Amino acid sequence: MLKTDRQVLIESKPESMRGLYDRYAGMLLGYIFEIVKDSKLAEDCLVRIFCELSAEFGAENAGGPQNWSQLQRFARGKLGPLPVVSAKVARGDLALRRSDDLYLAALSAEQKQVFLEIYYHGKTVAMLAAELNKTEEFIRKTLKEAFAILRKSGEN
Amino acid sequence: MVKINEYIESGVLEAYVLGSASEAEAKELLYLKAKHPQISEALRELETDLEHIAQQMAITPPPGAWTKIEANINELIKARESDALTIDMPYRDQPRESSRARRSGQFVEIEAESGHMRIRKIWRWIFAAVFVLGKIFLATAIYFYIENRHNEKEIETLRIELRNSRGH
Repeated sequence: MLKTDRQVLIESKPESMRGLYDRYAGMLLGYIFEIVKDSKLAEDCLVRIFCELSAEFGAENAGGPQNWSQLQRFARGKLGPLPVVSAKVARGDLALRRSDDLYLAALSAEQKQVFLEIYYHGKTVAMLAAELNKTEEFIRKTLKEAFAILRKSGEN
Repeated sequence: MVKINEYIESGVLEAYVLGSASEAEAKELLYLKAKHPQISEALRELETDLEHIAQQMAITPPPGAWTKIEANINELIKARESDALTIDMPYRDQPRESSRARRSGQFVEIEAESGHMRIRKIWRWIFAAVFVLGKIFLATAIYFYIENRHNEKEIETLRIELRNSRGH
């Protein structure tokens, strides 16, 4: 029988909220900052997300996110509906990113756009394919290439 | 095996890790992941890669951030504890209506129309006892007052009689 994301989460070993914070708060703050482009707002969102995690999964984080990928998806799910965040995303503030981001420098413009739109905006492959007038296969391939380049640049 | 490699190379795994895969794609991936350890391994590697990417743009949170979160967690714990105290365990499975009826059995409504105030039934007996004691005290006070006045009148009469008898 197939397991849903939640079942997978529940079967994972619980990590306390403090442990999750110690491991991922910096990464989450950096991630949120890239979306909202405002230090104060990013900090408020960080606190809010951890509070929502506590409310949903308790201080022991039983059944909650156990790794960065799960936490990032949870955070994006909570950030998206926030009016202040959606307004910033709608204004296209992400497009104003500095082009000298070291970890993105190795990507082509297309790879960067696909990666950023999916990672930060939370767009689905189908949505992005429709927006860019490309096939879904093309988007997935481009995303895979972007990942491979980022992995290599991370190793160097 | 070739098909599995093709599947891994298709970019579906990357889309899944970033949460941008469709529901059907995610279901298919979880099904294949359970069957093929290569997919499970590839997913784990991608999650690690994503974590490395996130580490590169990490920002140290301000010192007070955890304090705010901790305060919120403590508030939640307190709220849950107080909820647990409010709900009586033996009645947990009963519907709200019966809980309300049970509560109205425990309390006496002393002002029914507006500005409700609910007190425990034990106070009814205390009020009654205070009322009865008050009445007894009042009756005793009146009795002693009358008795005192009567005695004073008698003393006065005796005094007059005594004075008159001395005069003679």
